[in-house]
Amino acid sequence: MSELAFLSPGEARAADGFAPAISSPLARALEGARGIRDLSLAGKLEVRGPDVEWLAADLDVIRITPARALVVCAPEECVELRRSLPGLVVDVTGALAGIVLEGAGLMRRLTDLDLSTLPAAGKFADVPALVSETEGSFRIFFPQEYGHSVIEAVRDAQDGLA
Amino acid sequence: MNEFAYAGEVTVRPTSAPGLRELNDYVYFRRNVAGVQREWWHHRFGCELWFLAERDTRTNEVLRVELPSAPEAKAAPEPVLPDTPAA
Amino acid sequence: MRLPPQPGERLDRSRALVFSFRGKPVHAYGGDTIGSALFAAGQRVFSRSFKYHRPRGLLCCSGSCPNCMMTVDGTPNVRVCVEPVRPGAVVEPQNVLGSLERDLLAVTDKIGRPFTPVGFYYRTMIRPRRFWPLYEKFLRNVAGLGRVDKHRGRTARFDTEHRRVDVLVIGGGRSGRRAAADAAARGELVLLVDENAGAAEPGEGYEVVAPGRALGIYEGGLVPVDAGSVLLRVRAAQIVVATGAVEQPLVFPGNDLVGVMLPDAARRLIRDFSLKPGDRAVVVAADDKALTILDDLERAGVEVAATIDLREHDPSELSAEGRGGRLRAVTVDGARHECDLLIASGSPQPAYSLLAQAGARIEYDAGRGVFLPATLPPGVEAVGRVTGEVGAIAPARACYGGEGFVCICEDVAVKDLKRALAEGFDSIELAKRYTTVTMGPCQGRLCHLPSIRLYAHEQGTDEAAIGTTTARPPWAPVTLGLLAGRTHEPAKRTALHHRHEELGATIMWTGAWRRPHSYGDAPAEAQNVHEAVGVIDVSTLGKLLVAGPDAAAFLERLYPNRYGDLKQGRVRYGVLSTDAGRIMDDGTIARLGEDRFYVTTTSTGAEAVVGWFEWWNAVWRMDVEIVDLTGAVAAVNVAGPRARDLLGRLTSTDVSNEGFRYLDARHGHVAGVPCLMLRIGFVGELGYELHFPSLHGEYLWDTLLERGADLGVRPFGLEAQRILRLEKQHIIVGQDTDSESNALDANMPWIVKFDKEDFVGKWALEHARERGPRELLVGFEMANGTVPPEGGQVVRSGRPSGRVTSSRWSRELGRAIGLVWLPPELAQEDASFEIRVDGRLEPAHVRLRPFFDPEGEKLRA
Repeated sequence: MSELAFLSPGEARAADGFAPAISSPLARALEGARGIRDLSLAGKLEVRGPDVEWLAADLDVIRITPARALVVCAPEECVELRRSLPGLVVDVTGALAGIVLEGAGLMRRLTDLDLSTLPAAGKFADVPALVSETEGSFRIFFPQEYGHSVIEAVRDAQDGLA
Repeated sequence: MNEFAYAGEVTVRPTSAPGLRELNDYVYFRRNVAGVQREWWHHRFGCELWFLAERDTRTNEVLRVELPSAPEAKAAPEPVLPDTPAA
Repeated sequence: MRLPPQPGERLDRSRALVFSFRGKPVHAYGGDTIGSALFAAGQRVFSRSFKYHRPRGLLCCSGSCPNCMMTVDGTPNVRVCVEPVRPGAVVEPQNVLGSLERDLLAVTDKIGRPFTPVGFYYRTMIRPRRFWPLYEKFLRNVAGLGRVDKHRGRTARFDTEHRRVDVLVIGGGRSGRRAAADAAARGELVLLVDENAGAAEPGEGYEVVAPGRALGIYEGGLVPVDAGSVLLRVRAAQIVVATGAVEQPLVFPGNDLVGVMLPDAARRLIRDFSLKPGDRAVVVAADDKALTILDDLERAGVEVAATIDLREHDPSELSAEGRGGRLRAVTVDGARHECDLLIASGSPQPAYSLLAQAGARIEYDAGRGVFLPATLPPGVEAVGRVTGEVGAIAPARACYGGEGFVCICEDVAVKDLKRALAEGFDSIELAKRYTTVTMGPCQGRLCHLPSIRLYAHEQGTDEAAIGTTTARPPWAPVTLGLLAGRTHEPAKRTALHHRHEELGATIMWTGAWRRPHSYGDAPAEAQNVHEAVGVIDVSTLGKLLVAGPDAAAFLERLYPNRYGDLKQGRVRYGVLSTDAGRIMDDGTIARLGEDRFYVTTTSTGAEAVVGWFEWWNAVWRMDVEIVDLTGAVAAVNVAGPRARDLLGRLTSTDVSNEGFRYLDARHGHVAGVPCLMLRIGFVGELGYELHFPSLHGEYLWDTLLERGADLGVRPFGLEAQRILRLEKQHIIVGQDTDSESNALDANMPWIVKFDKEDFVGKWALEHARERGPRELLVGFEMANGTVPPEGGQVVRSGRPSGRVTSSRWSRELGRAIGLVWLPPELAQEDASFEIRVDGRLEPAHVRLRPFFDPEGEKLRA
């Protein structure tokens, strides 16, 4: 078993009478919420090294620094990508919760990042976050420990705009 | 705003066993110049990089920003001090 | 009295609104402000002044002065002259005992005045000192602005919104609008804000927010704008200040009477609200714009008894007399004119405050008699009357007749400023702080220049020499609620958090984390770990991957411990030290591979440790990557004599004592979940710390509880953990150590490998070793079973001689135990000492070895 397999939900296996289950850190906080899509279960890989620049164009990549990037993929693709991507590749699927929101007005109540120069890393709902645009909506990844807090803040901001 | 965290003046770590006074200076004292200071910054709520800046502490103008350089520059260079008139 | 419809009036006479004033209904038109409606209904006294309770009427009608402040729907200090009418609003006067017309507290003016000169509170009501609470209560009830109902709670919602624009224009007058339109025409993203709701006409190609009060100009082009229930944090590449100029009241006897107004007030009453400001007026003005009021007065049918243009003729005498606080006549150079309206103003002072805050230099222009912005910082522009572009004006005299009010807000009169000067407060900054001039609701808009002028006159110098006081935000009064906005505290929760809540745990804060303190019975939870098996959520531990060719060398340099010789698949405890040799954090390091290490830190120290690692890496530039895995990995510690049994049921990895030794690190699947298992001594019993993907958190926790039910598995919380770890004398960084403690004094000298070439803290620790400790951290037992308080003092010969840092009752041992800092001569096995507990001295004995299982046999079982 690989040294970093313990990071990867993709390495779980149903066997010996066990059926490992997954739960999103946002599941409870999102009960009854509208207009917030949960991306927490998407596969996420942290890639470090000088080859970050040359990552394939068909990958969903957020370049954080010249030597660091976040690759977002389907959960099942993580194990394979971990092997094939260059540099140090760490499965951080569980590290980041993610949401998709609509509307710049809502975003402006939650972050002071310049929405015209995305993707960007900065504060969102008072926590560190990676914000990018996806098909006219806003995609935000943030540390999963803050999951409940962030959803609370987003729902509150929605109330304020209503 | 507080997206970036100021992380102090660049200090020069003694290269061999320092006497108590030299160690104390290194640990507790800072030059605190009224002039251009070379200092560390951390992009705390962003990309999390640590980088260097040269800032005039009198006007808050940032003159230069750079990533920490190659391994050769292990000892931090002297901060650049313009002629500061005695206040 | 309401005039027939005036051209450009702001009224919608087809809308009839009703609100109440002092319980009685008041009728208004759409577009009326509460103030204009009250004026139309005949109200002339709008408030009683701050200190002397003098009757005050409309003076500025633009939200600058304090004269019209009333309490509206429970919110105090609302300037009704600019507050739009809300149907059903409940309006009450404030700071009166009785009515506005007959305020019983006016006795402070008639009788109290000799006793309450400027700064009286520095001289009177001092002795006997014990009566001060009484004096204070009296003073607070008698003077002041409106009241806040402390029990009302939060009834309004305030939000914060971030904006980025190319150009922010502050001020919606002619010049501001022109600047906004020009910028919009150039294709820039423009926002214009104006203080008054009346200025809300939409702009051509630019956004308008009105009311929107700019509160200040901060570094980086940040301008907070109070837009009522939303605070706009605007970042602008270019800021255009078009805040205009404020007409300044003249200082003369009777200048605070009801009926004395600034030209702008009369103008607004007539033009905006079609109201006749009075029947017979005297006009005294210093510039062309002010004199245009004559046209308005004529149109409104107000008789003008006299007009004085200060540019042509500066009277040697000017005074107003009244009755019951209301203007009756004005005397100019011996000629007495009966009137009920006096329109008087000196040079309009540019409202430069925001510019000054931004860093502009302000200079006195003697020709115009006002202060002007002279040099502007980059990114800031000024247009319109704020630049001094006001045509010919006459600088006003400091004071006519040696008397009059300088500061209407704080009731500071000419004699008060003279007295302050006589007492030695000769700079304008001192005058401000001593007399409180400019410190009221107008914040100097109407009194800053007059006070400077008076000071210059009294000291025989000029205004330039006196200078201005420092301009500070907020420029306009702002509600604390708006500044607070929405108050969310970002709390951290583990992936298992809801399970703890469902199990009825008491949740507590540790740093930013929410963690279970106990599940109802901490001592029982601890006991269960000793007798059967317990599980605890330790997902909050900081976790770092340190990887790269220099990984081992990096850790060797960073830690006093030795890590270079740590074998793959082994774990070692480590204590992180600063270069001052102080303990920063502690945790374990497991070697996963030749150049891969897995480091754990304390829960509250994680962020600092990650920063520490990254910073040193930035300094040393070694070939190493540091990846923060704190949130990626959930962790559960399974501990107790049956821990092996439980784990064995969930994994095919060899968990026998030979196959999985103490301090081994193994990879495997636990209940199908990929897992790194660390066999470490956490709570003193046989234990395994399981690290696995956080998304499987709830599943693995559930499986442990389910599959271990017949083994007696029970969750345990932080309190039980505390007790167990204390039984083993494990230290808690930050609880048992402070910023001065080093590893030698904290009784872990074996951690520090002095033979290493260099590590962070080596020299400081060498010096400490040479010097010898001032105090040592050791374990102790109480003789009588009393549990001393944490922080409890050790007393020796009547003097403090150490302190308790941790203390608990241990059910397992049947004793009260703890950790204490003692002077080295006391820190010997079995030495006795005393601790102060509730005023008594309780005896205790030093125990140098862990209280429970000192040989660590249980851990290695």
